[in-house]
Amino acid sequence: MLDGLKERIYKSAQIHQSVGVIVPVSNYSDLYETIMMQMLGSKQDLWMYVSITKTYDTITRSYKEFANKPNIFFIDCISRAAGISQKADNCSFIESPVMLERILMEMMHAFRERKTEGNTYIVLDSLSALMIYNNVETVKEFFQHFVNKTRAENIHCVSVVIEEEMDDHLNKIIFLNEKIIKVKESFI
Amino acid sequence: MSEAELETKEEEEKCQTGIEEMDIQMNGGIPVGSTVLVVGSSGSGKTTLCMQYLVNGAKLGERGVFFTITEPLFKLTKNLEGFDFYDRKLIETGMVNLIDLRIISERLGLDAEKYSVEDASALLDVLKDIAEELDVKRLVIDSITALCYRLQTREMIRDFIFKLGTSLAAMSCTTFLTSEVPPRTFKYSQYEIEEFISDGIIFLGDVERKGDLIRTLQLVKMRGTAHSRAKFAMNISTERGIELMPLLKS
Repeated sequence: MLDGLKERIYKSAQIHQSVGVIVPVSNYSDLYETIMMQMLGSKQDLWMYVSITKTYDTITRSYKEFANKPNIFFIDCISRAAGISQKADNCSFIESPVMLERILMEMMHAFRERKTEGNTYIVLDSLSALMIYNNVETVKEFFQHFVNKTRAENIHCVSVVIEEEMDDHLNKIIFLNEKIIKVKESFI
Repeated sequence: MSEAELETKEEEEKCQTGIEEMDIQMNGGIPVGSTVLVVGSSGSGKTTLCMQYLVNGAKLGERGVFFTITEPLFKLTKNLEGFDFYDRKLIETGMVNLIDLRIISERLGLDAEKYSVEDASALLDVLKDIAEELDVKRLVIDSITALCYRLQTREMIRDFIFKLGTSLAAMSCTTFLTSEVPPRTFKYSQYEIEEFISDGIIFLGDVERKGDLIRTLQLVKMRGTAHSRAKFAMNISTERGIELMPLLKS
């Protein structure tokens, strides 16, 4: 079933420039695993994972293979804000999840530095987490820039929202994507 | 002249800072021969911006000189060595020259605290001579505020900056003057004269967002070229120096 979800998201991301994934909190870990598996299985595609939910250390402790994948890059918005000091060649650590312009800078720099013959993908995990640290209007504006910049650079983006945290604002933000996938319990 | 020829001519007459987004916002760079005020409070990134400007110029074959009044040379060099854009060879080959203006003042026998009209004139001649002898195309004075402090009247300040700017412009030398202002004030200089003489003003500030301080850069003025007046978020990193991204407005 997870394979089905993986295929659904990957196919949508290949076809559409921006995909929003609405997932129930009970299935978030399944979605997370799906995305990790997709990234690890990718050879030619370039992947970037922007994490506002887990630290880089947490991710790589569970998936040690990431250390040997030059086509995968992380932007960790959590570690430094949590007082965790770390360095890694395949990760950029941003001072705080409030510094949204830094996310855009790191994203643009990382993709320009790395070339690929395949597609380029970026995962934003998650918009719900961004709302914890930032004002609604700031997140709306940031996401508009995010979608526009990725569109201009032909980067396919996948952004995650937790269903239980959906409100009018998140609803408007997530629908800036070209395609929406609603993950249901039955899907998994 | 055709439109394409006009465009090429305009590009050739621009001094590229090498900071990509900044050059884009100025339609290719700063008009050659301009005197630009780099304004900011303590820690806003004035020295880093000026040094990156000189180093980028040196990499394009344009010799530069950095006159420091506020920071001793050994400290300046030590701080710069942390940046990847810093290249010691550029100093060794004379493409970037670091000069302590206080030592020059001492050798000229100038009063450390206050300059007379003759003192100011002598200093101006020395600055012009150094720029000419080294054939520099980029010059930085860090800071013009510290220099103006020693000039006794507003007329002397105006006269000094005007004559300096004019002489350097004649040598096609593009000059950055750093201007120290208190934090969070809408001021471009201490003496409120410098900004009127300058051809350009680059304002380095910061905004507070949820308690965090985000560095900003804004092109307030730049004569001779169309430019954006939008505010940019600025990041300074040892790996990449200065980077800009439009600041979120909300």
